[in-house]
Formats: sequence, C-alpha cells, structure tokens
Amino acid sequence: MATTARLALEGIRVLDFTWVVAGPVATRILADQGAEVIKLERKPGPLGSRQTGLQGDLHRNKRSIAVNMGTPGGLEIARRLAQVSDIVMDNFSARVMRSWGMDYASLSAVKPDIICLSMSGLGHTGPRSNYVSYGPTLQALAGFTLLMADAHGEPAGYGYSYADMSGGYTGALAALMALWHRRRTGRGQFVDLSQFEAVTSVVGPALLDISVNGRKQEPPGYRSQELPAAPHGIYRCRPRGDDDDRWIVISLRTQAEWERFAGAIASPAWTSEAKFRTLYLRMRNHEELDVHVARWTIDQAAEAAMERLQRAGVTAGVVSNGADLCERDPHLRARNFWGTVPLPDGTTTHVTGIPMKLGATPGAIRTPSPLIGEANDYVLGELLGMSRAEREALIAEKAIWP
Amino acid sequence: MNASGALAGLKILDLSNYRGQLCGRLLADMGADVIKVEPAGGDEARRIGPFADDFAHRDRSLFFWFYNLNKRSITIDLQQRRGIELLMQLARGADIVIESFAPGTMEAMGLGWDALHTVNPALILLSIAPFGQTGPYRDFQADDTVLAAMGGMLYVNGWPGRAPVRPWGLQAYHSSAYYAAIATMCALFARDRDGAGQWIDLSMQEATAAAVEHVAGSYFGEGRIEPRRGTLHWSRYFRVGKCRDGYIMHCSLGDWTSLIEWVAADGKAQDLTGPEWEDVQYRAVHAEHLFDVLDEWVADYARDELLERAQTLRLPYATVRNPEALLDDEQLQARGYFVEVEHPELGRTFRYPGAPYVFNGSPWRVRRRPPLVGEHTSEILRDDLGLNADEIAALIAEGII
Repeated sequence: MATTARLALEGIRVLDFTWVVAGPVATRILADQGAEVIKLERKPGPLGSRQTGLQGDLHRNKRSIAVNMGTPGGLEIARRLAQVSDIVMDNFSARVMRSWGMDYASLSAVKPDIICLSMSGLGHTGPRSNYVSYGPTLQALAGFTLLMADAHGEPAGYGYSYADMSGGYTGALAALMALWHRRRTGRGQFVDLSQFEAVTSVVGPALLDISVNGRKQEPPGYRSQELPAAPHGIYRCRPRGDDDDRWIVISLRTQAEWERFAGAIASPAWTSEAKFRTLYLRMRNHEELDVHVARWTIDQAAEAAMERLQRAGVTAGVVSNGADLCERDPHLRARNFWGTVPLPDGTTTHVTGIPMKLGATPGAIRTPSPLIGEANDYVLGELLGMSRAEREALIAEKAIWP
Repeated sequence: MNASGALAGLKILDLSNYRGQLCGRLLADMGADVIKVEPAGGDEARRIGPFADDFAHRDRSLFFWFYNLNKRSITIDLQQRRGIELLMQLARGADIVIESFAPGTMEAMGLGWDALHTVNPALILLSIAPFGQTGPYRDFQADDTVLAAMGGMLYVNGWPGRAPVRPWGLQAYHSSAYYAAIATMCALFARDRDGAGQWIDLSMQEATAAAVEHVAGSYFGEGRIEPRRGTLHWSRYFRVGKCRDGYIMHCSLGDWTSLIEWVAADGKAQDLTGPEWEDVQYRAVHAEHLFDVLDEWVADYARDELLERAQTLRLPYATVRNPEALLDDEQLQARGYFVEVEHPELGRTFRYPGAPYVFNGSPWRVRRRPPLVGEHTSEILRDDLGLNADEIAALIAEGII
C-alpha cells in the first residue's frame, strides 16, 4: 500500500517508551500519518507473534530499538535520542521516567522545547497516582462495566479494553495539540494524561445527568440513548449455515420511518394496530412491539433484512462478527479499509486500517511491526552517528541487545 | 504559560449534528474558536435529554451542553441563498469546517469541497458520516447502536448464548469524534507544510471498527471469530467477581506470589498454591478455574476494603462501580477533573467533567458555557464579517439569521 503522497506528520520524531495497548495505540496513530516513531524496548519481548494479530496492529509503521535501561550506556542512548526527538511518550507511573532521568524536568534542561507526554493510568498527581491499572480495571472504575448489565442486572460486558482505545486516542490527540502549540510558540511542555480521566471523559452526557440532576444511572438496555425511538433494539435473525448467532439492529425514530418500515415488511396486520400508531404509543408498548419485530426478523437473513430496510430508508444494521467485519462487509471492502502489510517471509498479513481518509495526505501502512531491535543500526548509526565499533561496544557492555 | 490554549488562533465552523459535535468540543477546549452554526430553531441536539432539572427546554439540554461547551453559536438559515452566502463568507476566514450531513448534502447546498476549496484553498473540510463519503452503504442510515453493530463492537459484548449487550454511552460517536479531531490536527500539519487544505472523509463505521482492539487481530492472526465472553477479558487475565457489597475486577497479571499468599492466609487458595500457577500463561489458559476460586475468596470481602489491600500489594484490582462514584472520586477531585461552569441566565453553576490531561504550558480550560441558540450571531457577523448594525438588522428582518 505504498504511496507517493507525502504524509501529514513527516518530519516529526517520537521517542516511544509506551507498552501494553493504550500507549502503542497513540503512537501507532502518529506513525500511520508519517511520524517517525522509535519504539525503545527490552529483550526478550512478550511471547506470541509480533507481526500479526493485535501486535501487528499496534506496532506497524514503527521502528524498534532494543535498549537496556538498566545500564548507564542504555540511559545515555535514551537521553541522546530524546535530544533529537520532538516528543517523548510513555505510559508508566511518574516514578519510572524520573528514575531514568527521562522526566520532563531533566529533559527540558538539555532540550528546552521538548514535549513529554505521559499516559499513566491515573495521572502523576493525586492520592491514587500509584494505583496499578489496566484498561479493563479503568473502565470498571469509570462505571462502564456495571452499566453493561444483562437482563438479571449482572455485569456482562466489555470483555475487551475500550479504555485502552479511549486512552490511546486521547494520547494521540494530546501529542498533536502539544506539537501544534510548539510549532506556534516554540515552546515544549509536559502533558500529564490520565487514562482513567480519558475513559471517564467518554462517559458523555450521563456525567452531567449525575452532577446536575443527581440521577442514578441505570443500565440502558436497548433504549435509545439519543433521539427517542421504537422499535429500537437487537433482533435475532435466521441462522447462517449452522451459525445461529445472527442479529440485526433496527432503530425507528420518526413516523415516516415507521411507515417505511411497515411497507418494507409488507404491512402485517400488527403494524396498523392502534397501540402502535404513534411514536409515543410505540415506546409505551415497546415490549409487545419487539415481539412482533422479532417474529419477522427470525425468518430473515440479517444481511438481506438490512439491505431491504435500508433501501426503504429505515435505519438498520447487521450485528457484525469478526468474519462479517473482516471479510464479508462489502462496504468496508469497497473502501479498502483493511490494510495489507508485507511480512519479511514474503507473505502478507492484514491489519486494522486507518479510519480517517485525508484526501491529500492519506496515511499509509508501510511497514509491518518491527522485530525488537530491528532498527538498532539505523537509529544508533544514522541518527546518533555512532560507528560500528561503538555499537559493538554497547552490545558487549549489554547496553543494547543485538 | 500560554493561557489561551494550544489551538488558540484556529477558527472552526461546526455544522455537525449531535453525531459529530464532540470533535469540535475537543478542539474548542484547547482554545480553538469553534462557531456552531445552527438553524433558527436551534440544533437538534438541544431536543435530546437529559435536561437540567428534567425541564425540557432547548437551553437546558445536558446532552447539548456536554458536546458544545466552549463553542459560540450563530443561527443561519442554510435553506436560503443568502444564508449560504454568509456561510461562504465565514468559510473564507476559517481554518476548518466540520460537517456531518448525509453525503452529498453539502454539495447540493453549494458548500461542497470544490466550492469551499475555491474560496479558501487553505480550508480543511472534515466530513463525518456514518459510512463515509464513498462505497455501497454510503447512503445507509445509522444511529450509534447501528454503528456499534456494524463496527463489530456489539457482537463481542455480553454473554455467550445470549443476546449481545450494547456498550454504554454513545461510544461509536465518541470514538469517531476522537479520530475526527486527530485527523483534523494531521491536516493542519500537512497544511503548514503544503499550504493547502484538504477534505477528510471520516467513516464512523471504520472508527468504531478500529476501536475494538481484538476482533480483527484474532480474525486475521488466527482465523478466529471472537465470541462473547461475558466479563472474562479476551486476554483471559481479567474477570468480574462479586464481593459481599458489590463487584470487583479481578486481575491475574500482578505479583502472583503476593496475591496467592494473601488468598492462602484467608484459607481460600484451594489448588492455586501449586508452582504451575506462577506461570502467567498457565493462569490465562486456566482462567475459568482460577477466577472461580478467587470468586469464592472475595465473596465475604467488602469491595472497597479489598481494593485498598490489593493496591497496597500492587495488584491491579479495581472496583466495578456505579458512575455516580466518579463525582466523589478522590483522585479526580485532587486533579481538579470536574470544573464549575457558570450559567448566568439560569443563575447557577454546574459541575462539568473536564480535561483528561493536564497541559502544563497551554492548559485546557472553560472559556464559555455552551451557547444559547444564536447567542453570538451579531457578534460574529460584526467582528468576523465586518457587517454593520443596519446590515445585521436587515438579515434578521429577512429571516436569514
């Protein structure tokens, strides 16, 4: 997917200490748009494939160097790299970067316009700044886990880390805004990002409902969280082969939509019953309405039902599983959403694409996730001007891993 | 310190509806001048609840407030030709236009990319649409639930064998807004270098798909369709457990020795004391049994007590809380996360969620409460377009503004 167009963030260099998910998401977004992201890592890395699956998603377009921060030589490399970088990003607690002399106070003393962006779990200040956290624990603290309850009121949701994504996006945005500020004023700064606050911020208007109205938030079920709608929900569809886990979402807000819906499903008698005549009545009698809708959907293939309803101007969508999303959805395919990356062994792998199409400077997936230390020679040789002999010496003193 | 914010000096026209409004808010919070263009009756978001004191009124929608803090408001009737002309004049002096109309609508109004680019070659146009500006589903309708469904966020949420559970909040919209703001920043950097603006096509379906970390990775990496797993995290290192007074999030990634010594001291370790459990991957493979044992262990604990003791041992546990707890959270309070925003016309001050980051050199801040409908119409026409009082009065008389 090489492109000759220039990339938006060409010329920006990021020294990347981040790990796990949220931090790498942030630096990946910058790398996709052309920033040179130098990922400073240790060896051995985590088990499992580095270039496919989630790891392939997280680190593509980055460079990697293997530096032992437990050695004076390793620390020296990191400090010199910071001096030729625009921004240093980490997602440690405050203690770690300070212990390496890589905190903002230390780095700005030698490079006054440096930007340091720390994406710690709960921030560098406050009584809980030393809490140990991961995405799943942060989204639990923010209220997400409890409010994704099943019919019995038990938590049932987010067997994945949405908090890592909200933290990652917030990190990428913060980095760009700090870089923009520096471009305008010449000044660097320290940005103390709390991933907990990032995921709290995407709770949205419910936070104001709590603070202004003092309202206890209840699991929303399938009730619309935006404009009132009925029917509004998820309905089971006909099995696809032996897969009976097929569903469609249908959302009807206006009277016109209701009439189009009724027409699209051939106006069965219940659609003209008085108790469903207005939106108000449909909302009041939504349980009964849902039973009728589900009786229709159960005989429909999810994709066909979506097509039929959408072509009639009705809001509906397949509940896509991994195969729907990555292979079958004709729209994502037509838009070339999934990226293809060539691997060193001559094969290719697919990765999550870039969900923003900039007309003149589209981002690009250029290189697969690097193996750890793959860019040692480039970074130490070309960027820091170290001779081969110096690099060999660093390996001998275990400051870098070959 | 530059108290005006990192994005001071940028002018943004925000034509987007409630699906895209968070993007402009994120930029406004950092100092950009975001002008919200509304129809005379006010933006649709003003009709969406909840409302302050549950009193439904266009200037009391908390939904609107959340997404429109720090923006200014101008009312322009874009159904009229003179309204379009005014917008074009504003676009001439703007850096960014954000819109979320159905694809093709801007063009039909005479505000398409070519027209905007002609009057202002440096302008960046950000188009946020459910399925983007191209492709077979381009004209499909969506709300947040449909986007969560078609972006793969919904299928993997909930228990196996039962209906998927919808993510809380409007997370398809929110993910899209963050990507939209990031895309806008990237376009600004490109413009700085190339001198020209560009058109950004932001598909909310794609942004939602990108916000689910494991579905594509598992499919492309291992050919596996990710199932629903209830609260067991796909990595198999986290699961919700039940204390005597509420839920906690278990995590088996911390210091295992400390955890198991504690559990054993309570007489609840069962077979978890074996050396095989010291291997983190073994713990993942046998996660169901591991968490079943830990569930029995925590059953008699109070969840806050368990959390404090766990964190003292540096175990990454968390309580599974109601969001109401956020308002009283000591950490958020200490960091000043919630901010007071004065609404003079209501004679009150309200607590708003604030910034997820502390910029020490160009702070996030509240400069103005969310605007009343058309609150800044005259001010914008006078200061930004140089119209005089008579001209403004004429526009009002004609129903343009």
